[in-house]
Amino acid sequence: MSLKKQVTFFITVSILVGFISNLVRSDAISWIAEPIKVVNNVNDVSLTLLEPEIREIDLEMAKSLHKTGLLFVDARSEEYLSDGIIPGAVANDDVGLLSEQIEFLIGYEKGFVIYCSDDDCGSSEELAYELQDFGFMNIFVFKGGWKSWTDAGMEIEIHE
Amino acid sequence: MSKLHPWLIVLIRFLLGIIFIYASYDKILDPGKFARDIANYHIIPMGFENLIALIIPWLELFIGIGLIAGLMVDGASIISGGLMALFILLIFQATIRGFNIECGCGLKEGEMVGWNKILENLVFLGASYLVWQREQKFFEFFPKTRLSD
Repeated sequence: MSLKKQVTFFITVSILVGFISNLVRSDAISWIAEPIKVVNNVNDVSLTLLEPEIREIDLEMAKSLHKTGLLFVDARSEEYLSDGIIPGAVANDDVGLLSEQIEFLIGYEKGFVIYCSDDDCGSSEELAYELQDFGFMNIFVFKGGWKSWTDAGMEIEIHE
Repeated sequence: MSKLHPWLIVLIRFLLGIIFIYASYDKILDPGKFARDIANYHIIPMGFENLIALIIPWLELFIGIGLIAGLMVDGASIISGGLMALFILLIFQATIRGFNIECGCGLKEGEMVGWNKILENLVFLGASYLVWQREQKFFEFFPKTRLSD
């Protein structure tokens, strides 16, 4: 069996099994990823959602929502928290404990904001999906996160 | 051609195979998470990360099985090397661009991109090359003859 045939065999079988498994599994993903919806209006934040949603906000929205007292969640690892956090934000590397903390503070229905280090960190989005699995309905991912917050000269909170 | 003892090549095949099977496990169970890990590299266009996340873990699983079971070892080792070269390029560009993201490698929860991951994948790339360049077919069942024979 030639090398070309062997490589073709592995790739073909992987494509077939990958696609078939996605057709039959209960937690199938869409074939093409859809971008997260962006929210630009503060009024949209308090809407009651019928389905759980993860939406994206920018710095200006984050500032507005912080003023309204919405809970902020820091998705960065504990080692980065000594630099400071957005005032009032909660953080915990253990997602189970973090979800209990959020549920205790605001319940499952009310919205909250998750941020990580910058535009490209990805851990805020990852944590958003994990917390959504715990039953939280209304989650906002703050694109730009800690870097855009501090670059804008916004207030921070430092814990010793 | 690799001058290593044939049984050492078999050992390398086994280790590489175990690593691929282990790495594929979480990705097969949760392709959504793997797709988001891929998206964080900001290099895949038009939402294709989902399609990639559905195929790569199974490819890792099948070449892992091939390497361990001695089935189509040439094909498995060349794909293994190709995947490693691809992962090195992805992690390298993310590291250079200063991304603080999970590598999505599947070996350990929460591993971040960085030079240590590049080094680790270079070792796996070297191992794939040694298997590809092996002199003798030991503990291999299909095909029975080398491609060059």
